[in-house]
Amino acid sequence: MAENAVIQTQGLSKSYKQTYALQSLDLTVHQKSIFGFLGPNGAGKTTTIKLLLGLIRPTAGSATVFGMDSVRQSVDIRARIGYLPQEPHFYEYMTARQTLHFTARFFFKGPEKAIEERVEEMLHLVALADKADRPLKTLSGGERQRLGIAQAQVNYPDLLILDEPAASLDPIGRRDVLEVMSKLRKYTTVFYSTHILDDVQRVSDTVVILNKGKLVAQGPIEELLSGSEGVIYTVHLKGDVDAAYQKVKSQPWVSGIKAGQQNDDAAWQVSVNDAEAAETQLLKLLVDGPVVVTEFRRKQYDLEDVFMQVVEGGQDGRK
Amino acid sequence: MAGNSAFEMVSERGWRRGLANLLNNEFGRWWRTNRWWSQALIWAGMIGFLMGAVVTQAGMKIEDLAMLYCIFASLGPSIAITIIMQGAVVGEKQSGTAAWVLSKPASRPAFILAKLVAGSLGSLGSMVLAPGLVGYGILSYATGKLFNPLVFLGGLGVIWLVILFWLAFTLMLGTLFKSRGAVIGISLALLLLQQNLIGLIRPLQFVLPWTLVVPLNDSNDAIVPNLLLGRPVTSFLPLVITLLEILIFVAISLWRFEKEEF
Repeated sequence: MAENAVIQTQGLSKSYKQTYALQSLDLTVHQKSIFGFLGPNGAGKTTTIKLLLGLIRPTAGSATVFGMDSVRQSVDIRARIGYLPQEPHFYEYMTARQTLHFTARFFFKGPEKAIEERVEEMLHLVALADKADRPLKTLSGGERQRLGIAQAQVNYPDLLILDEPAASLDPIGRRDVLEVMSKLRKYTTVFYSTHILDDVQRVSDTVVILNKGKLVAQGPIEELLSGSEGVIYTVHLKGDVDAAYQKVKSQPWVSGIKAGQQNDDAAWQVSVNDAEAAETQLLKLLVDGPVVVTEFRRKQYDLEDVFMQVVEGGQDGRK
Repeated sequence: MAGNSAFEMVSERGWRRGLANLLNNEFGRWWRTNRWWSQALIWAGMIGFLMGAVVTQAGMKIEDLAMLYCIFASLGPSIAITIIMQGAVVGEKQSGTAAWVLSKPASRPAFILAKLVAGSLGSLGSMVLAPGLVGYGILSYATGKLFNPLVFLGGLGVIWLVILFWLAFTLMLGTLFKSRGAVIGISLALLLLQQNLIGLIRPLQFVLPWTLVVPLNDSNDAIVPNLLLGRPVTSFLPLVITLLEILIFVAISLWRFEKEEF
């Protein structure tokens, strides 16, 4: 097992008859990280989470959580986990307070006072204290989601697994959930699935992208955002662009130039194979020539670019 | 954020993990809601009303009264427990609450056993003992003397076993099927058609618990009426078979639920 690994899967697969819901997933989640599990609907995110929790069994491969086997030691694993399902379903005859009390009792025998204090703390954490004694059926979708976060956190878990925690929340609710996740980083490892790219970019350390049951990209968020096409500079120019084009093209560290037009300017995408040489020489080359540089920047990817590349482009490799 | 040092942690392992909490929850559904008293009221009221109507008829023999009591006391509560238990597993599978509970440190056997134990004890109090008290009073009034309470309790025990048969059977169907319709349909069909089925396929008298409370044809071989009337019981074999069937239903439920995917 890798050092500090909380979750580790090897060839983890799940199929239903002939259809693969998850295909040979190799994954390592390190301690105290916020691990974003990204993919379109049906990518296999929830299947992976259910496999880790022992709610379903793998058809091949294995998973360990805290070094324990997800099939044979499922109950022991769950004693150290907090889990928020994608659509939380609680007993409708309970109130929010009773739901948290019931959840806490799976972990704690007593003392009763300490359990009540923990329940109260959780109600305040998710701002449900004023609605704690109402029947659950009177709570809105967002309030139920917040209750879901509270019940997942009630045991101060070593690993928090959240399945689409912000999917049904309004922007303020989403922001609150992301803030809670960021705060928890100090105490726990957060493994969460989402299809909201912006959330992942805001809080995650490491990202995995799944598509059609397969892992298509994995790595630290900065690494993924640096792109898979290498370093590219975006340059906008005015003047004698043909001469400048030849000059730049002849450089050994330039691997290609994609030329286009934007308004009255020439717009280039300069691909380089030596980032250091490009950084020190490219702009100098241009400003010394017969052109006016109106824009010059190293292209930054956002997660949406990466996601669209690997999902729509059908990439089947690993970072 | 403090740790969990202020708490006494749950220490049970294996199949007992989560059982105490789940049992407490299931008991709460029987005893901390209106279920216990509404069921007790329904079945005590029904026994009182029906037996009261019959007992006032002239020429009614005590054997017939005991027989009617056996039918009223076992058939109605058996239907009720079937209806109550039909959603216990399949309903929770459909609603997603079973998946939620099992994402906590709770074993699957604990989930099933909590429902079984709470349903068994709930039915004992509300569906057997409460109406049994009324039945005891009416039968004693009809005969003009008090029935032997221990013998009467023995009869109630067998009636409880009949109810447990349907409870365990319905619970088992809940683990085998994904739809409430199948669970309630099969349970109620079998329950209501027991006599006809036994008439058609004679060996079913050894499988279905009907013959514990109602004798076949004009024989005196049903255990409960014989117990109530202080007559010798011809054979305890049907009792043993019913007990074994209950254990088999529970074993199948545990085995099947262990394989369930959520």
